[in-house]
Amino acid sequence: MRSTSAESAWRASSRGLGGSARAAERRREQKRSGQGAAGTGKEGQCLLHLRVREARCRLAMVIRRYGVAILLAFMILFLLSGFLLLSFREGAFNSQIMLAGGLFAVYVLVQYNLLAAIFRHLDRYVLLTTDFLMIISLIVLYRMDPETGQKQMIWILVGTVLMVIALVVIRRAGNFGRWNLFFMVLAVGMLGITLVLAQTTLGARNWLRIGPFSFQPSEFAKILFLLVTAYYLSTREHKRDLWPYFLFTILCVLLLVAARDLGAALLFAGTFLIVFYVGTGSLWITLGAVGAFAGGAVASYYIFGHVRTRVQIWRDPWATYNDNGYQIVQGLLAIASGGLLGSGLGNGMPQSIPVAETDYIFAALCEEFGIIVGLAVIGFYLLFIVRGVLIAMGARTKFAKLLVFGATCMLALQSFIIIGGVIKLIPLTGITMPFVSYGGSSMLSSMMLLGIIEGVAVQNGELDEAEITEMGGQMR
Amino acid sequence: MSKGEPNRYMKGMLAVFCALFVLLASYLFYSTVTYGEEWFSSPYNPRISASRKVADAGSIYDRNGLPLAWSVGSVRHYAENPQVRRAVCHVVGDVYGKSMGAEAFYARYLYGYDQGLIDRFVTAFEGDSKGGDVYLTIDAELCAYAYEQMEYNGAVVLMNYQTGEILASVSNPTFNPEEIPDQDGEEEGGSQYLNRVTQGRYPPGSTMKIVTTACAVENGMTDRVYNCPGEILIAGQRITCPTNGGHGEEDLTSAFEDSCNVYFAQLAVELGADRMQRTADAFLFNHEWHFPDFAMLQSSYSPGNNQGDLAWSGIGQYRDLITPMHNMLISAAVGYRGVMVQPQTLLDVRYGGRSGYTYTPQPVGTIMNAQVADTLAALMRATVLEGTATSANIDAAAVSGKTGTAEYTDNGEIRNHSWFVGYSQDPEHPLAIAVILEGAGYGSRYATPLAGKVLERAINLGY
Repeated sequence: MRSTSAESAWRASSRGLGGSARAAERRREQKRSGQGAAGTGKEGQCLLHLRVREARCRLAMVIRRYGVAILLAFMILFLLSGFLLLSFREGAFNSQIMLAGGLFAVYVLVQYNLLAAIFRHLDRYVLLTTDFLMIISLIVLYRMDPETGQKQMIWILVGTVLMVIALVVIRRAGNFGRWNLFFMVLAVGMLGITLVLAQTTLGARNWLRIGPFSFQPSEFAKILFLLVTAYYLSTREHKRDLWPYFLFTILCVLLLVAARDLGAALLFAGTFLIVFYVGTGSLWITLGAVGAFAGGAVASYYIFGHVRTRVQIWRDPWATYNDNGYQIVQGLLAIASGGLLGSGLGNGMPQSIPVAETDYIFAALCEEFGIIVGLAVIGFYLLFIVRGVLIAMGARTKFAKLLVFGATCMLALQSFIIIGGVIKLIPLTGITMPFVSYGGSSMLSSMMLLGIIEGVAVQNGELDEAEITEMGGQMR
Repeated sequence: MSKGEPNRYMKGMLAVFCALFVLLASYLFYSTVTYGEEWFSSPYNPRISASRKVADAGSIYDRNGLPLAWSVGSVRHYAENPQVRRAVCHVVGDVYGKSMGAEAFYARYLYGYDQGLIDRFVTAFEGDSKGGDVYLTIDAELCAYAYEQMEYNGAVVLMNYQTGEILASVSNPTFNPEEIPDQDGEEEGGSQYLNRVTQGRYPPGSTMKIVTTACAVENGMTDRVYNCPGEILIAGQRITCPTNGGHGEEDLTSAFEDSCNVYFAQLAVELGADRMQRTADAFLFNHEWHFPDFAMLQSSYSPGNNQGDLAWSGIGQYRDLITPMHNMLISAAVGYRGVMVQPQTLLDVRYGGRSGYTYTPQPVGTIMNAQVADTLAALMRATVLEGTATSANIDAAAVSGKTGTAEYTDNGEIRNHSWFVGYSQDPEHPLAIAVILEGAGYGSRYATPLAGKVLERAINLGY
């Protein structure tokens, strides 16, 4: 059972039986039984505990009822006013941009309501959070270059389809045990082929070009890596049976380092460490692995010139302003010029930041929307992560737990690494900002991660419902 | 399955994630609040040059109040005298961001951005953000004089070594800040916009012997005597002296006066790579400069991997590179008994007659102890009195210095930069100078007499 007895009692009473009278009755019952069990000494504490819990539940109910509508309304308002400003930017009214904004507003409303109607147990906060992030992304991209914004919108649509597919597949599927070997070979193959055939962009060899499309295989390897991780850690009793998984991880990380895709390497290694720790609970092995990766990182500092450069830039980007430090300095200047409230949409100069559409989009949004929106974005990521971990905790199988936790962990690390890099908290490693950066591969893989998380959320909800029905209650 | 177990660890990790994101948010907030002002008003911020309204900008004056830049309507005017205008163009800069001068570095004063965030909002709403007037430490007439004397490309920089005030700073070729072509119209090289004083990196040539000598003094090796037959072979590399038949038997003093390559090459080898590196580092080679008034490039020193490279590095060749400003700072430190002061060009900022800035000398640090400085001072004085730098010997003050002839290859042809670094020993006239003339030839013949004239003029002007 997922929830504690009081919570499920509340759920059964308030939802299934409706009236608050029944809830009160239940509460009295609980209180009586509590008295009997705990004795008189803890009575007051117990009562307080229940009151707090009740208030919390009631608040949750209000939020659940109206919160979503309010949030959605604000988001649509934000989106439309943003696009209205953008369509007036060049003096005359640009109906095409306003149309794009309107279309996306329709998309958000339809996507949210349709998904929430089809999958009743969908986690609404996770979905709304990503919608908000995508709205910000589109406004910032349309402001810099409408053509990029348009492409991003198409990627969002394609990503939505993939998200639904992932959701449906994960909801019904087992642990993909039969596919595991294939996944491993595919992931390593993708990373390996990239290394051989890739195009070098900004120092990293992580792009593959097929026909008119170029894509970043490491983005898709991420999902395979999560599936493999969850499979191994949920099926192997003994840690000694995990060696193929260890080899697989090390191989992936080495291939990424060789491709100079340091951000992705850091992401894979970090996700591995955290999910391994959560899956096995062996702190010492995890710390040992942290030590090994740290050793690897220190070694790469001494071996690779570009790693050293990154660290030097981080320590003092101003010293090398004319070459290596240029990007981070421009990012910091943009953030500082925006200040708390931002320069206002269209008043800044985000085009002076290199790669403002992808890795540096956080600086661009901070400049025009202010660090207040930057902080809100950080907050939304955190909300996403909290919900993701809660879904993982509610999952029934260890596989589902670790899969969702891994997906959440990956998004958490990814957003932390890039935002931290842009604001100079940590050395910068090129990586995209999930749901916000421009880029097809990044958008599609982030959407698939979202689909995985939602898939398990729906699964949890359906199983909850089944349990409650079994107990004689009913959902809604 | 035991479902409690992973959940417990997940809770722990969730706490870690929360902590990380709270850290992220706090750092973003903290850094913008703490450094936002400084970052925003940085000369690198393209938003300032894009948004500044020239009409609102304050004026720029030299230390004597001679106007160097001012706005009439939305047009920026520069010093009326064309010679003065060109001589100070790199220090003053331009409004297009082509060069890094006062127009960029002091934009925060000129456009009133030095006010706090709130003031900025207020003035932005009121719409009258009249900036402050900036007074520079340079003497424009002295700059023009130095510029007129320069027959080659290169740089001249003159500083008061007690206070760090830059009195003259000229980089040739120059540009006319009123006639800067459009950003699109890229003209050949654009090298006229480069301020050679802080951004030109040249092999120091024989001026590097100051560092090699300092290293010898620090390590008690002043008693070495070597014979100079005119050339020497070190690890397969031939090092020569330009005199016929060589200098003969040389001790440190005579070798310094004669600028004997053979002597210093052997001295550097005997000192060894470690000691040379240590002294060069102490003299702030390979050091990232953080002067608020300049974007100054790093000077580099490397002793190399073999004795031949080490020998060349000891006489200012191999991979040695130095900016004229740094070379001037080294001779200034000799004059100030080992203490290097920070060069500055901002003398005052005035808002409608009210001064909003106080010039305060800032030390960079002690780069050598006073005994080493005194030994170097004696050697450099002797060099001006009876060595290679006699043409810098002027009546107005007791000048000490060192010449340099730095080899470089230009399209396969070996040519020489002409260097002089030195200072006036007179405590009434604490002036340090560096002169480099690109490809002119011997240091003693071109840079040294020019340095003498500029010093004389500066002293006559009362500095």
